[in-house]
Amino acid sequence: MDDEAAPARRRSDRARAVPLLAIAALGVSALIFDLTDPLRLPGDGDYAEAAAALRVQAGPRDAVQVWPSWADRARMFVRSLPVRVEEDLRAADYPGVDRLWLLALPRVPLAKLSGARAALRQRGAVAGEELRFGALSLQPWDLRGPRVLSFLTDPLEEHEVDYVPRQCVQVRIGRPADPGRLQARGQGGVLHVRAGVVGERAYQVARGPVRIEVQVDGAPVATLNVPPTVPPAPGWRRLDAAVPAGERAFAFLVSARDPDRPFCLSAWTTAP
Amino acid sequence: MSRRLPLALGALTFAALFATQSGVGFVRDEGYYFEAARSYEQWVLLLLRAPAAALRDTGRYWSANFEHPGLAKLLFALSHLVFTTWLRWLPDALAFRLPAFAFGALLTYWLAVLGAQRSRAAAVFAPALFWGAEGTFFHGHLACLDIPICALTAGVGVAWARAIGILDPSPSPPSPPSSSSPPPKKKLFFFRPRTWELPPPAVRNGVLLGFLFGSGLAVKHNAWLLPPVLLVHALLLPAALRGRALRTLPWLLVGPAVLFVAWPLLWHDPVRHLGDWVSFHTHHVHYAWYYLGRELRGPPFPIFYPLVLLALVLPVTQVALFAAAGAKLLWDFAHRSLSPLRLLELGLAGAAILPFMIRTTPIFGGIKHWLAFIALLAPEAGHLLDRAAGLASHVGLPRARALAIAAAAALLPGWWQIAHVHPYGTSAYGELAGGIPGAASLGIQRQYWSNNVTAVLPWLNAHAPRGARVFFHEVNPESYRAYQQAGMLRADIQYAAGPWDAQYAALQWHREFRDREPETWNAFGTKTPATGLYLDETPQIVVYARPGLPGAP
Repeated sequence: MDDEAAPARRRSDRARAVPLLAIAALGVSALIFDLTDPLRLPGDGDYAEAAAALRVQAGPRDAVQVWPSWADRARMFVRSLPVRVEEDLRAADYPGVDRLWLLALPRVPLAKLSGARAALRQRGAVAGEELRFGALSLQPWDLRGPRVLSFLTDPLEEHEVDYVPRQCVQVRIGRPADPGRLQARGQGGVLHVRAGVVGERAYQVARGPVRIEVQVDGAPVATLNVPPTVPPAPGWRRLDAAVPAGERAFAFLVSARDPDRPFCLSAWTTAP
Repeated sequence: MSRRLPLALGALTFAALFATQSGVGFVRDEGYYFEAARSYEQWVLLLLRAPAAALRDTGRYWSANFEHPGLAKLLFALSHLVFTTWLRWLPDALAFRLPAFAFGALLTYWLAVLGAQRSRAAAVFAPALFWGAEGTFFHGHLACLDIPICALTAGVGVAWARAIGILDPSPSPPSPPSSSSPPPKKKLFFFRPRTWELPPPAVRNGVLLGFLFGSGLAVKHNAWLLPPVLLVHALLLPAALRGRALRTLPWLLVGPAVLFVAWPLLWHDPVRHLGDWVSFHTHHVHYAWYYLGRELRGPPFPIFYPLVLLALVLPVTQVALFAAAGAKLLWDFAHRSLSPLRLLELGLAGAAILPFMIRTTPIFGGIKHWLAFIALLAPEAGHLLDRAAGLASHVGLPRARALAIAAAAALLPGWWQIAHVHPYGTSAYGELAGGIPGAASLGIQRQYWSNNVTAVLPWLNAHAPRGARVFFHEVNPESYRAYQQAGMLRADIQYAAGPWDAQYAALQWHREFRDREPETWNAFGTKTPATGLYLDETPQIVVYARPGLPGAP
């Protein structure tokens, strides 16, 4: 009888070690994850090499997009090109950028680099050869976007809208009877207007919308309303409109009932 | 078990906090508490010099930081008065923080007492599991209210347990079950009927309970939740014990008296000041808080927010053990096999976290508001760890070795986290989040309270020209002054109101403050940081310098 029960007892005894084994396995797994952390992260040398490659290979109409979008330590090393930190690579505008260099940290947890690449492909971008510098990946993407005819706002000035730095200029919001006004001259084509409220005031839902009336050569052609941001709806609003070719006078009239908000506007035209 | 082990562990905690405090920046709240403590210290000096005047002018000195009761800040003030003003032994900040280390030690002591009711190993594991993560260890250093109220919650629990006779003063740990003996009965496994037969509560135990409860009230309003927990606990106890517990409850009435004595602001016009206190918290602002890719700005908050945050912040081994402890307590509660002490721990832990799951309570500040939740689960977690080692010793593994394996597996990831991240505790994330980079990708609050700025102060001291104006962003003027008084920031460096007003900017990366970085670029004419604190590549503090200034890229 005892002999028959012995194997079952041994199994039962072994089962008693399971909790400790589980804790040990969890601890060892955690330590492996923790101690291999440096292997997943780029060092200064990796960034310096990537920056050197960009200095050699990048052109004047190139830009760098970091990925994940928070990984902008690259700014300390990449000084020859604009560095973008867009979060939605499919919808981002990148005006005036022909080639985008995706500078990524592919080994960091939850980097989702494949998702970033898929987003670029979805917008019609074509990938070039990927370069690796230690824990950094650098890959050029031909955006194949339309050619910019005129920047109607300064692309060097940036403000945050939807928590992303945007190439846009701050415009005074006026009352409806006395709207803020931004004027510029440029080539007609497809007019792109982007606008949003800067900072946390974008999310104050009790406020009314900001209205932008677009005039070309003195005639209204379109309006863009920027309501308070209620996620997931974007706060960075878009308007695209056709404008007859040739040099044009553009005016953007910005108004709201409650004007005490920092407001940012970007406009440019591209070839049809 | 004697008190020697809990006392030794408490002393070790104090020493560890003392030894690792120097790099911990002054968090926003500390700036306010330092200022309040300075005001209270002046009042104490006046009290010693001219008692009548001090009694008359309480409002003038004690209105500073009226939104929190005075005890913790009074202790900060007394420590500063003794160790800095009179003895000149300690720098200002360290003197303010000394009582906080003492509260940390007390927390360890009480957790060890609770753990000791199970076993000697659980007495060690309980505080070790609580402190063995940067998210908790960091808070132990601060002259704030979160660890003190956490400690006093545990202290009230111990005092209550002792007063009603469910805390065995000299428990003999249960011997590990042998393979040949029948498995122990689950019911009341650690509860001995003889504890029910203790004499009526001693007056000193009742007084201690009332004093500790009052101290809790005089530290932070969380303590008001304790009487309902103790009442429910009393009602759920077996009949013989219930009567004794209900007779112990009135000792809690000592608490408001302690609050009144320890908070001189209430000595004049108490109704108005109590009203201001309550009003501040019932109308508390909701700060924006980044959570799983969205900014939470107001209710309703996700119901499981505090649990998810704990899972992301703590090392995974602690997450598993605390989860197992909570599940075990709930399981035994559901099966009516929970001893009165474990029932008390479950109640206190639940009361610490449930208010943050009702979807309207402000949820900013990471895990600090519900630290008592994991503290009160720690004795059970420690016991489970000990039990896992005990079970394994029946398959031939020596018990000492099994305990060592259990301790290493449970604690080493947390110790690594402390070594890796300290003193930047609000930025720490565990393995379930994918570490700090994973948390950044998940869209979790990067940091809070601005203390990480200590990483760049040496750089500013080395590079900023004399009298340079620096925009410190979220560092409030109180903390800025504290850095200068502590010698961590040059005295000539000036506090700028914004990038437009500054030569240097030290920006703290917060999702809701992203507008400040482009604002700095526009003001400075550069987008290239001069230096910064990047934890595992994630930007925490980014420093910009106007071109041409020393240190500018």
